[in-house]
Amino acid sequence: MAKKTYDLLFKLLLIGDSGVGKTCVLFRFSDDAFNTTFISTIGIDFKIKTVELQGKKIKLQIWDTAGQERFHTITTSYYRGAMGIMLVYDITNAKSFENISKWLRNIDEHANEDVERMLLGNKCDMEDKRVVPKAKGEQIAREHGIRFFETSAKANINIEKAFLTLAEDILRKTPVKEPNSENVDISSGGGVTGWKSKCCS
Amino acid sequence: MDQSVAIQETLATEEDCITSDRGHFETLVKAAVRTWHHKVAAFCFICVIVCACSVRLFIYTHRRMAITADDVSLEDIFPVSRHFEVVEVSSPDELAILGADTRIRVSFQEEVLEVSLPFGSHSRFFLGELNKAWSDVCKSSSHVPKFEWLHKHSKTTGGQAVIKQSLTPLGAKMTKLSKQTGLSQRLHTPDAVAHSPAHQGTRAGPEIAARAVQNEWERYGTCLGEGGAGREDRNDMVRSSSHTPANKAQMLSIPQFGLRDNLIRCELLKNEDQYTHLQDFSFFLATYNVNGQAPKESLAPWLSCSSSPPDVYCVGFQELDLSKEAFFFNDTPREPEWMRAVSEALHPDAKYALVKLVRLVGIMLMFYVKREHAGFISEVEAETVGTGIMGRMGNKGAVAIRFRFHNTDVCVVSSHLAAHIEEFERRNQDYRDICSRLQFRLLDPGCPPLAIMKHNVVLWLGDLNYRISDLDVDHVKNLITKKDFETLHNYDQLKRQMDEEAVFEGFVEGDIQFQPTYKYDTGSDDWDTSEKCRAPAWCDRILWRGKNIKQSTYQSHMTLKTSDHKPVSSLLQIGIKVVNEEAYKKKFEEIVRCIDKMENECIPSVTLSRRELHFQDVKYMEHQTESLTLFNDGQVPCQFEFIQKLDEPTYSKPWLTANPPKGFLAQGAQVDIDLEVFVNRSTAPDLNIGLEHIEDILVLHLERGKDYFLSVSGNYLASCYGTPISTLCQLREPIRDMPLPAVRALTKGGESPEGGDKPLGIPKEIWMMVDHLFRNAIKQEDLFQQPGLRSEFQEIRDYLDTGVPDSLPGSNHSVAEALLLFLESLPEPVVPYSFYQQCLDCYASATQSKKVISMLPQCHKNVFDYLAAFLRELLKNSDHNNLDVNILATIFAALLLRSPTKQDLAEKRKTQEFFQHFLVQDLS
Repeated sequence: MAKKTYDLLFKLLLIGDSGVGKTCVLFRFSDDAFNTTFISTIGIDFKIKTVELQGKKIKLQIWDTAGQERFHTITTSYYRGAMGIMLVYDITNAKSFENISKWLRNIDEHANEDVERMLLGNKCDMEDKRVVPKAKGEQIAREHGIRFFETSAKANINIEKAFLTLAEDILRKTPVKEPNSENVDISSGGGVTGWKSKCCS
Repeated sequence: MDQSVAIQETLATEEDCITSDRGHFETLVKAAVRTWHHKVAAFCFICVIVCACSVRLFIYTHRRMAITADDVSLEDIFPVSRHFEVVEVSSPDELAILGADTRIRVSFQEEVLEVSLPFGSHSRFFLGELNKAWSDVCKSSSHVPKFEWLHKHSKTTGGQAVIKQSLTPLGAKMTKLSKQTGLSQRLHTPDAVAHSPAHQGTRAGPEIAARAVQNEWERYGTCLGEGGAGREDRNDMVRSSSHTPANKAQMLSIPQFGLRDNLIRCELLKNEDQYTHLQDFSFFLATYNVNGQAPKESLAPWLSCSSSPPDVYCVGFQELDLSKEAFFFNDTPREPEWMRAVSEALHPDAKYALVKLVRLVGIMLMFYVKREHAGFISEVEAETVGTGIMGRMGNKGAVAIRFRFHNTDVCVVSSHLAAHIEEFERRNQDYRDICSRLQFRLLDPGCPPLAIMKHNVVLWLGDLNYRISDLDVDHVKNLITKKDFETLHNYDQLKRQMDEEAVFEGFVEGDIQFQPTYKYDTGSDDWDTSEKCRAPAWCDRILWRGKNIKQSTYQSHMTLKTSDHKPVSSLLQIGIKVVNEEAYKKKFEEIVRCIDKMENECIPSVTLSRRELHFQDVKYMEHQTESLTLFNDGQVPCQFEFIQKLDEPTYSKPWLTANPPKGFLAQGAQVDIDLEVFVNRSTAPDLNIGLEHIEDILVLHLERGKDYFLSVSGNYLASCYGTPISTLCQLREPIRDMPLPAVRALTKGGESPEGGDKPLGIPKEIWMMVDHLFRNAIKQEDLFQQPGLRSEFQEIRDYLDTGVPDSLPGSNHSVAEALLLFLESLPEPVVPYSFYQQCLDCYASATQSKKVISMLPQCHKNVFDYLAAFLRELLKNSDHNNLDVNILATIFAALLLRSPTKQDLAEKRKTQEFFQHFLVQDLS
């Protein structure tokens, strides 16, 4: 029986051009809701959501960043410490797709080396206004060896899947050892499950 | 027995033993450098000792019961640092048995020690504390633990006599410390103690302690050597006490388990009926006072009397061992003997696992469960309470085991209450003592200790010792023969006391349909024939408390003849809350969703009245303020602060300040924040030429919450203030009339844009002010000594920068001050920085000084000469203007000869003397 409410904490970051729907993607995932009014994020916001993966309860702390160009220098300083980054573009906005390589460079320069990346082509419900073919998204994702989903926060397409996949990818890289674990099951006879110093390992 | 008193006595006043546990070490895997007294298996105490910020694990061996410091000896010290580790090891050759000892391996670099700790809450608590201490140490990794206090343990090795004493063959008395000195030490202040020779004398310990300490120093040394790089990394991460967006990430990632866990637990408990259902399980409860005897016959008739195998066995014993050894050292061979006898007599149709055994002197309780149920047993804890001699000793009292079976918390108590027919009040008292003193410490350190009565089901068995009173022996025996137990019940003290609600309140006992179980001649079914000829009594009883419990059987077992008591058993059907995994998961997820939502709602949040602040026409040395309002629209109070951006030294550009830059905002409260721009001489030069703009983004950070970006914009009006002399010499028009790129080109390249136009000899701005003063203020009283008006300065500055109005405004004093401010604002002083040292070197010689000035760049030299000539003119009128060489040298040397670095008083004096040469000389 579960004793603790979560075993791991993953920090995720949403980046991408202004207006591609980062805040909506987050809002859909965290509150399962959608708001049509556009309020530009001017700063750094975050929400949490607890998910269960492979029997582990994982608390996701998802940071939403300002997409406006003038804030880029500042937002890059939030990359450090993120374990996963979702790079979002808008399939109805060619410019937001063209900027993907710039964003990827940003990640290379400022994020942790082992950060898990993912590309999202948002607003896929607006097929009639599409200007970025899905294949192009797939191609750039393949070139950079990262996962790709087309999503719609409005129509709730692939949002949950994208977050869970990203969390799973991070989990796969996370060492089994959990130094903070206080979980003790009865078969261990009670006591420590094994904690050791990081610099000795 | 509590060893903490004994251990604390061996410690210095500032050292504190937070927790200790009784352990048993079997293997010294690698302890080559160690000289332990006990090289073979021995009992030991393992203690967490703290002093200031550092933590140590002390290992003591001990003699039997540890009552004073004489009984324990310090064997080893492990520093609890990042190189320290404790891991639980499972026994290599034995199956992991539920309730088995916890074996841990303690290691520090090469040193390894394995210790077995008794299973149970105390060990769990101990390991919890150790774990906590260890994580604290690791968390504060930037802070290097202080080991000075361990010096004391090394200093204590001085006394020769004591070392000799320490070489006694057994080596058991090593770290000797008399109780008396221990007490007297505490009367001193810690400082006095540390240095007093008496203290050192009394603390004089064994050689072994010295070695242990020395080892520790060596170990720590190595640790420093290799740990250096790692620590730097961490320091880098910690960086500074102020926040930056980057280390905010770290702050946010500190998990806060406690509150969430408790909330979820609480919600789960509230909704338990939604995901559990009741299922009956059979509990076989048994109690036997064995009168100190070893097992002589099979216990199967007692324990295997039910037709089908019960799910759970709880078997209690009393008077397991009546020997002095058992009483004093809590050590008896009877324990394994009876355990074996019980294990062999359990129902043959099922396999059982011993989950837990607990014993206090002669009171023992064993808890077995059918193998298939073992996975549903959790949170097993055991505790004991002595109520015997002095109200504390273990000859009477209780042992108890608590556990969770599926979702039901069960507590089983085996007790032996006070004896003698007239002592029923004493027995009531024992019961109350057991209830109040027996507390289970749970794994989760956040949970308060758990009392017996807090359990869903309490099963109480044992020799409760209540007798049949107010009837003579023969009458009792007569009623027994007639099997008139009902009449007899009326004289049973326990029934009476329970009816009076004096004891066992809320407990139920089944009908007694068996004859009293006490007292028989051992080996027979005959009533006591001894001198005392005790009246028969139902001493041995089984009671329960809780819902959904039905008794199937309640009987004694006459065939067993080992003791003067007969064993009793009862089979109970207990409704246990079994979890429906699907429903549980659903409920759990629902709660987690809900708590996630709450947590999201509780993230501090504010609204800002504006996000963009514009400063129009910012001028040199003129304050401009824009305000915004912060309103706490979140659900919690919040702490806000402007934080610096990565790689920037301050939260804003140097010309901008926020007031207040941080603060606390209650829920629903608001605060006005003023952003103020002020351009001074250090920020003006770059703004003048457009290298820098009135542009910034401030990060307003909420503690544990969001960050808000504030955009600051504006325009700066270029000014001659803060513009180099060389540039000004090229400008024939007011600076504001010149295009910005032209000014920038001039400042950078120095070439005249008008191509061919000869530069001015001196900046016209200086000429305007000096000429004005020369014509109007040469006799002005206290010129340069009285301040001007700020508003007039602003007018003068605007006049110099724009040429409007037609003539220089302001009073003489204001113009004089504007001149001084002008000289002060020059990015490169009149005597350029590169000449400063030369001036200092030759200040004593007038000729040399003049030579230095003659080497200045032309425009600087012109300004210098011009000002000096003007000042000499002023001095000619000193009768009116009260000026003298000293005053002028003091004022102007500081402006003309500025040091590129910080100036000391001697240098200052030299610059004044240097400048005086130019004030006294004749123009010739």
